[in-house]
Amino acid sequence: MNFDWTPEQEALRKEVRDFIRENMTKRLGGEMGEEMEEGADRERSRALRKKIGEKGWLAISWPKEYGGQGGDRMSQYIVEEEFARVGMGVGGGGSGAGAILGAGTEEQKRYFVPKVIAGEMSFCLGFTEPQGGADLAGLQCRAVRDGDFYTINGQKMFTSGAHNATHIYLMARTDPAAERHRGITILLVPMDTPGITVRPLWTVQNDPPAPPGTTYGMGRTNEVFFEDVRVPISCRLGDENMGWFIGAQGLNLDRVGASRYLISVHMDEDIINWAKESDLGGYSVKDDPAVRDKLAELWIEAQVCRLMTMRSMSIVQRDQDFTYEGSAEKVMAPEHGVTASEAISQILGPYAQLLNGSEGAVESGIYAHNLMGAFQSGINHGSVQIMRDQVARRGLGMPRG
Amino acid sequence: MARDPVCGKEIDEAAVRAVTGQTAYGAPEVDPTKGTRRFHEGVWYYFDTLDCRSKFLASPDTYIKKAAS
Repeated sequence: MNFDWTPEQEALRKEVRDFIRENMTKRLGGEMGEEMEEGADRERSRALRKKIGEKGWLAISWPKEYGGQGGDRMSQYIVEEEFARVGMGVGGGGSGAGAILGAGTEEQKRYFVPKVIAGEMSFCLGFTEPQGGADLAGLQCRAVRDGDFYTINGQKMFTSGAHNATHIYLMARTDPAAERHRGITILLVPMDTPGITVRPLWTVQNDPPAPPGTTYGMGRTNEVFFEDVRVPISCRLGDENMGWFIGAQGLNLDRVGASRYLISVHMDEDIINWAKESDLGGYSVKDDPAVRDKLAELWIEAQVCRLMTMRSMSIVQRDQDFTYEGSAEKVMAPEHGVTASEAISQILGPYAQLLNGSEGAVESGIYAHNLMGAFQSGINHGSVQIMRDQVARRGLGMPRG
Repeated sequence: MARDPVCGKEIDEAAVRAVTGQTAYGAPEVDPTKGTRRFHEGVWYYFDTLDCRSKFLASPDTYIKKAAS
């Protein structure tokens, strides 16, 4: 078994690294990765994204007819991995476009996917509701069919990016009498449709603002209200009442990719580099045996996360049955992120509490902000508890819990 | 004016709903400091904070009865 990259893949990685060195700083990358943030310079983001697109590095493995490059998944992974190190997503993961490619009409694929790749269109995910928490199938937001239209009434919660998205990828209940997983439909709704109202929710990362590159450092999320929002049936993704299954497939594919595990591994790399170079008032961090042991342990765990991602990539690349692997990654990587942020806070001692802007804050307080953000990663996009249940059922053949 | 069924505070429904801005792609925004709301069994309820609304969602009948009394 040979785990080496091919010479072509190594050359691609070098080319991407050179481009990043010449065109981006970590701060710029972090800001671009947070295009959803308030005050983000979207024009600058678009210009750089265009330049990256001209290199052929956006959505490499997506079909050419919809704006991708028609390339292989491993090449995309290499490019994703390098850009993720400077906080920028280039693979299209988490964008909603994966589900459109899987379940959309030809017209929807041609309309949405190229614009999503170019950064001209974006989706926020209208899943969670105030009463539901992680129990997504309990959603109550209603869409009632009326001829060639749906009328939507209800409310969504923790809708990150609703303030900067062009569309909402909305899960709504269309058949309240059906078994709860079977009465749900996905609608792709423009955010400027009359009847939509957005209420900002400021997060713990807002004051003081988390520095660029923080794990889940978004200072804002939203509530979104729908009152008699009327959309044509052409907004529907896939068949009516099949939204649960379309959404699950899209989410599982969204979970595959470099960004998920790198969110956690960034912290390991950053703290290792910091420990090598820093001394806290003459105390040499890198010479402390407890610190060295802990960093080695984190690094080993990070490599397990990476290998799990590579395995998923390989399954997707070979068109094999992809069932529980994304869920398994979604347990391992976020929990590693939490372990890492806690370990780092122990290593830094009282310095770990100093937030951005505080006197003496280490690296603009990023580790303190990471500690606050890491826990979120075990909840959003499918909680680790739900993911474990999926691994038990789909991977181990256990009955539904 | 409405009354928060959990904490009893008076809430200005018009202020909760008043449009104070717009998102990057055209959705109206409201001021979150004015409170929030929830449509429950045909009626809009208004709340001072998300905490109040979460308590209400956990046991709506308890708070509706309490407010009525």
